[in-house]
Amino acid sequence: MPATPMSNRAMFWRIIRRLLGANRGRLFVILLALGAGAAVTAALLNLQVDAKRRLTTEFRAFGANVAITPRVAIDSTSQAETLPDSDYDKVPTVPITAGGKSAFLFSIGQVRSYGSPHPIPVVIAGLREEGVTSAVLAPFQEVGQASRSEPYCFVGNKVAAQLRVHAKDRLFLLEKNSELTCRISAVETPGGENDSNVIVGLDAAQRLTGLRGRISLIRVSFPGTPLQVNDFIELLSRLLPDADVHGIRQFTEGEAKIYNQISGVLTATVVVVLLLTGLCVMAAMTNVAMERRNDVGLMKAIGGATRRVLRLFLAEAALLGLAGGVLGAAAGILLSMWLGKAVFGVAAQPRLIVYPVAVGLTMLVAIAGALPLRVLANIRPASVFRGEA
Amino acid sequence: MFLRLVADSITRRPRRKLLTAAALSLGMAVATAALGVSLDVGDRLAREFRSLGANLQVTPQADSLPLEIGGVDYRPVNAGAYLPEADLPKLKTIFWHNNIVGFAPMLEVTADFGVRGGQSTSFVTRGQTHLVGTWSAHRVVLPDGSDFVTGVEKTNPWWSVDGRWFAENTNECVVGVKLASRANLHLGDQLYVNVPDPAKMVQLFAPCIISGLLSTSGPEDEAVLLPLARFQEIARKPRQYRKLYVSALTKPEDDFGRRNPSTMNAADLERWMCTPYISSIAYQIKEVLPGADVRVIRRVAEGEGQILTRVRTLLWLVTIASLLAAALAVGASSAASVMERRMEIGLMKALGAGSGAVGFLLAAEQLLLAFVGGGVGYSIGIVLARIVGQKIFGAAPEPSLLILVVVLGLAAGVTLLGSAIPLRRASRYEPAPILRGE
Repeated sequence: MPATPMSNRAMFWRIIRRLLGANRGRLFVILLALGAGAAVTAALLNLQVDAKRRLTTEFRAFGANVAITPRVAIDSTSQAETLPDSDYDKVPTVPITAGGKSAFLFSIGQVRSYGSPHPIPVVIAGLREEGVTSAVLAPFQEVGQASRSEPYCFVGNKVAAQLRVHAKDRLFLLEKNSELTCRISAVETPGGENDSNVIVGLDAAQRLTGLRGRISLIRVSFPGTPLQVNDFIELLSRLLPDADVHGIRQFTEGEAKIYNQISGVLTATVVVVLLLTGLCVMAAMTNVAMERRNDVGLMKAIGGATRRVLRLFLAEAALLGLAGGVLGAAAGILLSMWLGKAVFGVAAQPRLIVYPVAVGLTMLVAIAGALPLRVLANIRPASVFRGEA
Repeated sequence: MFLRLVADSITRRPRRKLLTAAALSLGMAVATAALGVSLDVGDRLAREFRSLGANLQVTPQADSLPLEIGGVDYRPVNAGAYLPEADLPKLKTIFWHNNIVGFAPMLEVTADFGVRGGQSTSFVTRGQTHLVGTWSAHRVVLPDGSDFVTGVEKTNPWWSVDGRWFAENTNECVVGVKLASRANLHLGDQLYVNVPDPAKMVQLFAPCIISGLLSTSGPEDEAVLLPLARFQEIARKPRQYRKLYVSALTKPEDDFGRRNPSTMNAADLERWMCTPYISSIAYQIKEVLPGADVRVIRRVAEGEGQILTRVRTLLWLVTIASLLAAALAVGASSAASVMERRMEIGLMKALGAGSGAVGFLLAAEQLLLAFVGGGVGYSIGIVLARIVGQKIFGAAPEPSLLILVVVLGLAAGVTLLGSAIPLRRASRYEPAPILRGE
């Protein structure tokens, strides 16, 4: 049977067109199954990458995870060591939005309210901080803008209760021989770390204590996976060889454990769901493909070679997979963006690589679903037409 | 006749039915595994979050202001108030006592220490350090007679000891790594500590043997830790402590949980007390510890609540997405299995069956498939959820009957829905053209 390759190909596509168009209900059902699979693949793959990254930022709800303290000399017994405040500037600005850094200067001084003659001892903390989330001052309910002319101070809940002072009152801070007047701009809500401290600006604290250009602690909130946090700590140790840089183990260790578990759950769920969805779609596809035994029988009866017939059906399956994948994956990426928005308040970034991967996987599943048609190759056309088996 | 038709349809083409059932059971396995994991994960994670340590802190109500810098209290021993240790077993009598994972009282003073060199009786190294008396694996006898073992291992799980913790009722102590390297102390060395007593002329140093070196990355790296009972003697504060850390399993606070209990009516208050919010546990602890001020350590508690809520929502949404996908795939599969039977439907109608009877027959078949497939899928899914749970949390989730009901219901609903559309179309067919093969 001499046939030009050209007409052969035209015939091939014509048969495919007829196969696809013959039963619109069937076409719809297959596309639905494949599209659903593709959508869930794309959504989960996209969300998985994004959620892991987002989690590391979420962990910064715990605040700082890295501390920089003065190195205590071997022979020293005092704990009143300080760092130069140039060290604070050397700490690189944390690249991602959730991070921040703060410098503290602590001293034990005395505080007295405006009306009372009796000062009580208190820890005075000088604070300077940068970052999107004001980690230290977040628990303070801001009352009014601190005026520029007068130094401001934030007062811990316990201090305020002890002194019976409120926001906008005046406080006197005393340290050795110097004195500072400040106006309370906010009182901390209970339960924070600075419950029993008075916080003033770093400059004011340095003037008060006479420790100009010194700080006693730097804290950094660095969002990242446990490995990234370790790298960051190493980088800081190199930048600040004279200081003691360490992770705040309470949070670094706990976070590492929890991060690994959450990302483990996520990965495991995604793998299980993808695997089963793939199998499920494949089973549905096989079911559909088996319907084609009549067609196969007819084609063989009129002289179609087994390989050509099979190629026809695989091409059909690949086309269906492509169509289902293209539609489904697009829906899936949109779905994952919405999911990201629902969970983290920020839409998940669509990752372009996910799209071809999801489409490819769908085509693979569709073709794998059509493969059982090979069994039909040994079918004798006559028995099909007689309606046997 | 009806049963025979159903049985016949299944035995006649077992392979096709098997495929539909396979698609169904795989889809339902997805649903079961996803549901199983996400139902279980919240509780597991809440427990994991306890590796961040205590989320409640108890201090005396009538206390003076703590002079705390970097976690070290610089107040002298005679300043401030103390709480009685005898009240502590009552912590395990509150309504949420099972949620109290652990607690550890602490008595902290900045005091003197010394190290004797070789045979000499004078100190070669002498200085000030932070002395802490606390519990380690302490046995608390509860009012109902049972025991509860708790200590700093529970409230500060990130503390690691090289060597071992001190044993109670001995003169052992644990020394922070930084202090140890500074004062050149090693395991088994003897150390002398004293809380200066202004009333005495001669200060008597109490000896202790170092049983472990503590590393915490916090101020305790510079401290000496002793058994609470022994340190109470040294500090002359018998049966008293200054600070108590409590680690409790909680439910993330929602708007209701943040409300002030004193403004609630009786019904709301009861609901609030019967929910393990951190604030309601704090409230109940305050009731059993008179004179105590119970505070939520906000940094730990709020971070935990926020992350738990997020992760839970995330997993639920993933679950719902996969349920949806499974439902669509299963629906498609059962739709296909009905569609292929146009001939049969035509024949039945030609023989006089009404649309209702045909629909009923096919629905019964699909339901049978749904229950078999759903059951098989449930077992596969449970096994998968177990593997995931075991691998990640070291504990398998309990198979729950609720999931079985949900999965079977879903399977039935989805197959019926999937076959309803082609069935409706089939009921409109005229038998004659179908039988002619048009």
